[in-house]
Amino acid sequence: MKVLRLIPYAVLFGYVGAAAVGLVVLLALRSDGGVGPDQPIAFSHQIHAADLALDCTHCHQTVEVSRFPGIPSTDVCMVCHEFTATDRPDIQRLTRLHNEGRPVEWIKVHSVPWHVYFTHKRHIKAEIECTACHSDVTVQLPVRQVRSFDMGMCVNCHRANGAPTDCWTCHK
Amino acid sequence: MSSPRAYFEKLEIDVLAAMGKPSIGYLIALAVSATCFVVGMGLWGYQMLFGMGVAGIRHPVGWGVYITDFVFWVGIAHSGTLISAVLFLFRAKFRSRFNRSAEAMTIFAVMTAGLFPLIHLGRSWFAYWLFPYPNQRELWVNFRSPLVWDVFAVSTYLTVSAVFFFVGLVPDLAVVRGRAEGIRKKIYAAFSLGWIGSAKQWIHYNQLYIFLAALATPLVISVHSVVSWDFAMSIVPGWHTTIFAPYFVAGAIFSGTAMVLTLMIPMRKILKLEDHINIGHFESLAKILLFTSLIVGYAYAVEFALAFYSGHTFEIAHFTYRLLGDYWALYALMVFSNVLLPLALFVKKLRRNIPFLFVLSIFVNIGMWLERFVIIVTSLSKEYDPYSWGTYVPSMVEVGITIGSFGLFFTLFLIFTKVLPVLAITEVKETAL
Amino acid sequence: MKRRDFVKFLGVTPGALAGSGSLADAQERLFENLLRPKQQDPADMWVVHQTTCTECPAGCGVLVKGREGRPVKLEGDPDHPINRGGLCMRGQASLGRLYHQERLREPLARGADGSWEPISWNAALDRISNALVESRGGSRNVYLSSRTTGSLAQLLDEFAASLNVERLPDLELFSYGALREAYDVLFGRREVPAYHVEEADLLVTVGADLFESFISPVRFARHVSEGLEHHLDWYHLEPQLTMTGTNAGHRIHLHAGSEQWLLAYLLKSAQPRSPLPARVLDAVPDVTIEQAFARTGVTPEQLQGLVAAWDAAEHPLVIAGGVSTAHAGGLPTALLAGLLQESSGAIGNLVDFGEAENYDSVGTPGELVDRVVDLASANVGVCFLSRLHTLAPVAGLQEVAGSAVLTVGLTDFLYPPTEACDLLLPISHSLESWGDVETYRGLTSVVRPAFTPLFDTVAEGDILLHLMAAPGNWEDYVARQWQAAGADVEEQPFLERPTRPVSTRLRAAPTADRLASSWTPDTLEEPVLAFSPSVRFFDGRSQVISLLNEIPDPLTAVSYGWALSISEDDAMMQSVEEGHVVQVSALGSEDFFPVRVHPAFDFAVLSLGMEHAATAALPIDANTGELIRCIGGVELGRVRDSAVLTVLSGSMDASGRGVLPNDVHHPPGVEAHEPGHEPRRLYPTPEHETYRWAMAIDLDKCTGCSACVAACYVENNISIAGPDEHRKGREMSWIRIQPYLDGDRPIEFMPVMCQQCGNAPCETVCPVYATYHNPDGLNAQVYNRCVGTRYCANNCPYKARRFNWFAGQRPEPMDLLVNPDVSVRPKGVMEKCTFCVQRIREAKDHAKDEDRIVLDGEFTTACAQSCPSGAIVFGNLLDENSEVYRWAHSENVHRILEGLGTEPAVYYLRQDNRGDTGHE
Repeated sequence: MKVLRLIPYAVLFGYVGAAAVGLVVLLALRSDGGVGPDQPIAFSHQIHAADLALDCTHCHQTVEVSRFPGIPSTDVCMVCHEFTATDRPDIQRLTRLHNEGRPVEWIKVHSVPWHVYFTHKRHIKAEIECTACHSDVTVQLPVRQVRSFDMGMCVNCHRANGAPTDCWTCHK
Repeated sequence: MSSPRAYFEKLEIDVLAAMGKPSIGYLIALAVSATCFVVGMGLWGYQMLFGMGVAGIRHPVGWGVYITDFVFWVGIAHSGTLISAVLFLFRAKFRSRFNRSAEAMTIFAVMTAGLFPLIHLGRSWFAYWLFPYPNQRELWVNFRSPLVWDVFAVSTYLTVSAVFFFVGLVPDLAVVRGRAEGIRKKIYAAFSLGWIGSAKQWIHYNQLYIFLAALATPLVISVHSVVSWDFAMSIVPGWHTTIFAPYFVAGAIFSGTAMVLTLMIPMRKILKLEDHINIGHFESLAKILLFTSLIVGYAYAVEFALAFYSGHTFEIAHFTYRLLGDYWALYALMVFSNVLLPLALFVKKLRRNIPFLFVLSIFVNIGMWLERFVIIVTSLSKEYDPYSWGTYVPSMVEVGITIGSFGLFFTLFLIFTKVLPVLAITEVKETAL
Repeated sequence: MKRRDFVKFLGVTPGALAGSGSLADAQERLFENLLRPKQQDPADMWVVHQTTCTECPAGCGVLVKGREGRPVKLEGDPDHPINRGGLCMRGQASLGRLYHQERLREPLARGADGSWEPISWNAALDRISNALVESRGGSRNVYLSSRTTGSLAQLLDEFAASLNVERLPDLELFSYGALREAYDVLFGRREVPAYHVEEADLLVTVGADLFESFISPVRFARHVSEGLEHHLDWYHLEPQLTMTGTNAGHRIHLHAGSEQWLLAYLLKSAQPRSPLPARVLDAVPDVTIEQAFARTGVTPEQLQGLVAAWDAAEHPLVIAGGVSTAHAGGLPTALLAGLLQESSGAIGNLVDFGEAENYDSVGTPGELVDRVVDLASANVGVCFLSRLHTLAPVAGLQEVAGSAVLTVGLTDFLYPPTEACDLLLPISHSLESWGDVETYRGLTSVVRPAFTPLFDTVAEGDILLHLMAAPGNWEDYVARQWQAAGADVEEQPFLERPTRPVSTRLRAAPTADRLASSWTPDTLEEPVLAFSPSVRFFDGRSQVISLLNEIPDPLTAVSYGWALSISEDDAMMQSVEEGHVVQVSALGSEDFFPVRVHPAFDFAVLSLGMEHAATAALPIDANTGELIRCIGGVELGRVRDSAVLTVLSGSMDASGRGVLPNDVHHPPGVEAHEPGHEPRRLYPTPEHETYRWAMAIDLDKCTGCSACVAACYVENNISIAGPDEHRKGREMSWIRIQPYLDGDRPIEFMPVMCQQCGNAPCETVCPVYATYHNPDGLNAQVYNRCVGTRYCANNCPYKARRFNWFAGQRPEPMDLLVNPDVSVRPKGVMEKCTFCVQRIREAKDHAKDEDRIVLDGEFTTACAQSCPSGAIVFGNLLDENSEVYRWAHSENVHRILEGLGTEPAVYYLRQDNRGDTGHE
């Protein structure tokens, strides 16, 4: 009889437990597997940004003046790659695209949701390091989204830095 | 009545017989109710998939049948607590015949009511945002919004009612345990929490019961007051009035009592409980009905008086519209059902006429549903800006979901009649002495 | 955007035309002119292009604003001499033509079974060339288009000459036949002169619908608005109520067909400044005031008032037009108006032939009927029908087109004329091709492509050049024309040439003769049927654009579908009710119309939208060749059944409600609060530090034209709900024009949007803070936080909030018409006017770069930007030097429902308190 009396408690704990397991599974599903998408050209940030120590703005030219950092056109690539590493198949493909006047169809890695107004310019002007959101891209091949761009990340940083927390600053 | 012991024996047998093998009629009723419920849920799914637009609500009538249903079911939920808690505190003996069913009805009605705020949301899947829960965004709910108060009021009411219901059930579950066999016996044993009916247990039990009754009593007032503030706190002419809280509480008790009659009259017949629930008991309910009807009728009059006495352009225009506008027929039917017809209860013969009470209770149910509909819809139809006037007609989806809500309610109630004692056996014993 | 589409916009050549000579070349060359940021430009930069609107013949200058390689918004060009920044709703909505899902996407040929089958451009053009060659054996080729000016007119003439094609007079429903005929008789100038309303101090308009479709509505709206600044007095006389009429200081109803009596009375009674020849005066009948009253229905007091105003004015200007010159009395009306202009000394200054509208190539329907009669007996080889949305006004034209050996339609939609065609050539939208428009003498505006053709379409000019086998392409051709005029088509958006004043002399003899011969003593028998000008559809050509159907007609508040508007008295007399579907005797037995009973319409006048005239075979006035737009003695047939009209106005009577600013509508009972009796508030009133965005709207200037509504739809990605939803009142507009009955003036229009209240009732009731008060004073709405309780909408006294009942539909390629700065809202959330927060955000971002706050006038909202009459100002109320501060603190300022204590941020201005009679 005593055992039977525990049934209600068992049921209750069962529900709580199931909810907890579900939550853990959900959280696990949310984090990506740590692998970025395969890009049409295996561009290495390590070579360009770490080894060659090019500044981010060397390629992402509009990051200081625009909401968007700007994905470089093939013109920018060809400044060096007309002469550099021309034996590599990826560079040959790049050259071909450039000559045909076609863009490289990069796959977007870092995205904010549809309702978010995000401007790189303001963050660069506030001297927020690129790595604060993008983490260190030089150690990622291919580049992947390390930090999840959820509202908590944005708003906590805004609070910490005295940036506006009016919803309409970011929500559009 | 020969002897108390014989009566107690009969009572136990009769009540437990009611929990016996279901009849064909019962199964059909259950199947119909359950089907209605399933269809209603299907329609809700359809609405979520395609958008709120499948309902008839429109600009400017943003609330329609769903909120009407919500208020209606919350109202129904009221008599349970009234009968079990308030009348318990007032030592009204006739209560013992109805309290079990009324409490069950309360819980099922609150559960049904609780669905409607979800159904009426444009994005039901985000309903959990209405609860204050800690999150990394540090986003909180808006405590100025009466809808948030609603969330608290209704969930509190559901919790307290459920606890009260369960506590009241414990001695009866022990009775059932004593007469059940097999797995059923084990289940009832588990839920009767080791009740053996010792004097010590009874002392504790009675203390707890009276404490819970005292706790539940203010909820009778608060829940429907809060629900009424959904309207009263707005600036909509026809809603924005101070009398709403008492007006709604009276209305809720009125409709809840009517629903008790609607359920108990057939139940008594079908479950053959005529020996235990008699005309006198129903007459007591009829008196509650008459009394609350008078309050409701008074509130109707006061609403108009306030509007016209205020000299407020919009209030006057609104109440003129409510009486004579597009929905005049509904308003007239409502007044007939809620105010005029119940006046017949002044006649003792009618008060003790069970078929009449049953018909009356149906009218009151309809009338009270219409009351909420009229308040919500006529107020929104013609607000301040004449450009944005428009009339609302419910769509089949809304009608279907409303029928589905009745399906849910009756399904639960039918299941209740078979798994739990429909009369509070121990209390009937107490009061029968 | 899908990646595949992205590639398309980056410029993968449409393959269909590769190798087809100059046509392919033409499409490729367009790439240089794409609305595409240059490689180094940031992706969020607006690329702005100057071009010319071609939705109607007015030729307003527009700025095309593009993002991500596609046009997403049009705005009036502030520098353009015609519109100076304003743009009407048709212009605003014309992107809906560009991105229309039913636009023709490729050349089509009529198959054996009569259905349309795709055909290649080469095959199609070869077919035409062959047919043109074959036609040398004696058949006649004809080319009919709508109004064509500038380089294309030039090219068409060359085309006609080189390929033996007769160019028929251009077909326009608004051909101004009566005016041109009258000025021909009077002065020997068959032209539509420029009317300089802005220089007049008294304006008398007889039927001329200045703000809907008469010549250049945006320019007239601006000029009248300017005139109001220096107290322009305006009498408008018309048989049926129009939007223009509601705006006049004195709007007077007269019997249809009696206009000539009124003008004759005015001519004979007023003091002439330059006396008319006796011979002419003798030809004008003497009209006593009693006769004038009897004929026109205008009371003797009103007549005397008009004459007194005329005599008192220094620069009076009378303009006849619209419905009043489109009936049997049209010519004498136009002649008398011309004589009044002459006698008041307006000819040569206020009425200016030097800047006459360019209607040279436009014929009247009457002229075309004569040509068609001539053609009917001939063998027609190739018949070109270009840019025509109807052939109905010209009897027999459809048959001639049908009997031609090859009928070629150059069109963008399957308009009714395509039924007669064998071959359809889809022509590019003006935002996809080069061109120019010579609106009036002295002004040519360039049409520049902003976009590669969305579909396999080609500019009309390129088609003509190809058929002529001429070297070069259309772009070069236009450039050469401009070069010849000493201008650069790449650099200059428009070319203004100085005009010479034209000397005119009244030709007494023909005037007297023609006046006598055309005088019709009879007025039209009542009830009359009038085809009212449509601010939405012009002559019906714009009806294909979904957005224009979505926005209600400002006067009737009917959005979708045709409606026959009648007065309440007529409805009672004819015992019909709103929604009854009836026949109208004058229009044959086929057509049924649902009735709209309108409280402000005049008795014994039934009115239909002008768009219906595009499909009805209307009679033609023998004197002027114009379509008759006013038919007497009509009867309503039986009631067939009833329909639910898409009337978006719940009621036009707002008396006693504090909505409109006057005593009738704003009685003391609903005053904000009595002195010393400050309202008490449950919650603290929000305070604003740097900005309090606010808007002020001058109701005297607001014409009701709904340009703001269209601008708002396009700017803010507002979805189109459709007729079924409208019948349930589920429109999505963030700003709407509310028509209200208003004292002695028939209708006052009130633009209403979210009032961005200081104490907003919506904010307190949202359970999840999806709506809240932001530091700049805006009632913010966070879409992705909204759960959709609709409580805020219930509690909004202005009913400015819109719920997404369904997910908005954007059929491809309409999905490209999206402002990337504004969310496309999902189903189940509430939305509303944001005061164009995306523009505020952009301006603040820009200001922050320069370490300052946003300056007044630095930016404005889409509605204020588009307003042709400049009735809306927007700005920061905390800035005491701002325009909006000045307006909000002027006299006669009013806020809607102030008595509720909501503290709205939208201020309504109205000088005169005209509502003393009221509607009870």
